Amino acid sequence: MSFNEWLRQDRLPHIYCAGCGNGTIINCTLAAVDSMGWKKEDTVFVSGIGCSSRAPGYIVTDSLHTTHGRALAFATGVKMARPDLHVVVFTGDGDLAAIGGNHFIHACRRNIDLTVVCMNNQIYGMTGGQGSPTTPRGCLSTTTPYGCTEPAFDLSELAIAAGANFVARWTSYHVKELERAVKTGLETPGLSFIEALVQCPTNFGRRNKFKKVADQIEYIKAHSLLKAKRDRMLEQGEPIPEDMYVVGELMKRSRPAMGIPKKEAAP
Amino acid sequence: MKLAIDETRCKGCNLCTQVCPYRIFKEGKHPNRRGIVVPELDRPERCTNCRLRHLYGRQLCGVCQLTCPDQAIHWVEEEPYEPHKVAIEY
Repeated sequence: MSFNEWLRQDRLPHIYCAGCGNGTIINCTLAAVDSMGWKKEDTVFVSGIGCSSRAPGYIVTDSLHTTHGRALAFATGVKMARPDLHVVVFTGDGDLAAIGGNHFIHACRRNIDLTVVCMNNQIYGMTGGQGSPTTPRGCLSTTTPYGCTEPAFDLSELAIAAGANFVARWTSYHVKELERAVKTGLETPGLSFIEALVQCPTNFGRRNKFKKVADQIEYIKAHSLLKAKRDRMLEQGEPIPEDMYVVGELMKRSRPAMGIPKKEAAP
Repeated sequence: MKLAIDETRCKGCNLCTQVCPYRIFKEGKHPNRRGIVVPELDRPERCTNCRLRHLYGRQLCGVCQLTCPDQAIHWVEEEPYEPHKVAIEY
């Protein structure tokens, strides 16, 4: 009926800060999972360490809360042992891009039948706001007090280059689009990577002149550029501003996938 | 159907005041027992899902519920209106 029956009502309210976007992404993912009509016994949620990775603890299905960065490695094991299970991985940017980068690349290369939802809040939120690989250039954090000088990691481009079957990026403002993208990702065989830009009011917004939660949402909304518009701008030879996030369905292809049950795989 | 905010879950981030196309959610004025300023509902009967849910038989709009990071917004079924017999004494 609704995503509310997938949540563990006795564990709510969750520990996320007021205005944290992770709750929105959980809602969208669960709404998509709910619309797939899967049974709760056949669905597994896997996560690593971080704010975003607390999400499976609030979901009624079986879940794995694993070591830092190794969510994809554990999810690969689950999928190889029981290919009939539906595996969804919740992960954050510090988990996926920094310490688990190598697992991510090889999960994309193997094209395992997983759905990876990355809540990219552009900072290490749980440990006190250290700069992460996805912190944009010029943003302040506790480890970059004069502004980040390194270029940010584009996780969606990495997933496309490494060979994921479905790659999409949306933000916590685009809830309906995100829900649709997660649903497409769940339907697609092979690795589907959905990157969701979320606001972090406590550790990112507070240090970067976003006084209210809504200010950061407005910023993310104003700085998201639809893929269709990006393509049009490329055709006309217009320059694309560097601080824009390209959102939309970035890649959909059908490379051979791994971990699909035998009866479906036979052509 | 009726919109309702679960005061035990709401953390007062006021994101719902930004997303509703009818601007049903208004920023609250008074903190509750836990010290959280819960948004107020401004004429919630205007909500699309409240009005047309049963007519269409599916979820309509629902952006506030999806956006709420604390899963505090939900709809509750209302009991149908029943006329009561009132004895009038002249």
